[in-house]
Amino acid sequence: MIEHNEKEVAFFGKITAGFTHEIKNILAIIKESSGLLEDILAVTEDEAFPHKDKFKKSLNRILNQIQRGDDITTHLNKFAHSPDHSPTRVDLNEMAEQVIFLAHRLARLKNVDLVASPHDASIMVKTHPVALQMALFLSIEIFLDSITSGGKIILSPRKVRNKHIVRIHHEVAMPDVSHIPPAISSSTRWKSLQEAMAYLGGMVETDGTALEILISLPESIDE
Amino acid sequence: MNILKILLVDDEEEFVTTLAERLELRGIQTRWATDGEEAIQMIESDPPQIVILDVMMPGLGGLEVLKRIKAQHPQIHVILLTGHGSTKEGIVGMRLGAFDYLMKPLDIEELIKKMQEAIKSRP
Repeated sequence: MIEHNEKEVAFFGKITAGFTHEIKNILAIIKESSGLLEDILAVTEDEAFPHKDKFKKSLNRILNQIQRGDDITTHLNKFAHSPDHSPTRVDLNEMAEQVIFLAHRLARLKNVDLVASPHDASIMVKTHPVALQMALFLSIEIFLDSITSGGKIILSPRKVRNKHIVRIHHEVAMPDVSHIPPAISSSTRWKSLQEAMAYLGGMVETDGTALEILISLPESIDE
Repeated sequence: MNILKILLVDDEEEFVTTLAERLELRGIQTRWATDGEEAIQMIESDPPQIVILDVMMPGLGGLEVLKRIKAQHPQIHVILLTGHGSTKEGIVGMRLGAFDYLMKPLDIEELIKKMQEAIKSRP
């Protein structure tokens, strides 16, 4: 079953990656077209025409949205290429940054800030990148499910002695009891998180405060 | 910068024609091709100083075009264009003799800077 799922994920990734290339081409054409309009404006800088300021503002808006589209497409492309090589060596700092980008939209809907607190050096592990991203994403979702609005979720990859850890914790703005979410392990997603971590040869723990999830991974899934 | 003669090669016609227009506005003599075969023919008839070459093209792919350029005209600098997912091809291209590679969508100022560096590096 897992082998079958891996083939499906690889297929999904391949198709998605192909389309991200197409989107990049579209963005490139829009960027050059708006760039050409900017160039023309620049060479006619001294000539006034009606609504010139609105024209400039609109161009600026287009360029900002191209940048936004490019950032999203870049991360989607990276995600789509995740199943290309599995297991493979990944940096937990980079994985945390990537998942924060992927979960950004969901968090924004609840006014929650997602923040990475990277380790001061790379933390390399050999693992399944898709399953790891899913586990980190599930951890964020568990907190988001219980948050009404606001606060901060921090992903902190760490290497403590020989342990490779990502601490995901929810920092509430006000330490009011009413802000404390229900126990993490009662979440319907907790079982899925446990299964993902078992597949990765690691484990997941919660400290009982309902504000922290700790996932730990082996240095190599082959171990 | 002295007048530069460059060739843009990308199967996205709207991309190459618009970029060519922008480069022309900056005094860079720019021709374009939308496939590898056409590019090779244009290079044979009038070799440019620099070729800006997309890696992912149907038919004759960018890396194959690069190999042919370097075999026949090693003095021509080639700057590759890649998507973010094909950085690997950019690195392979540099091993095959490309001067450098850039990601799409392009920053035109970065492209011009890269072209200036390529011209300066000419032995």
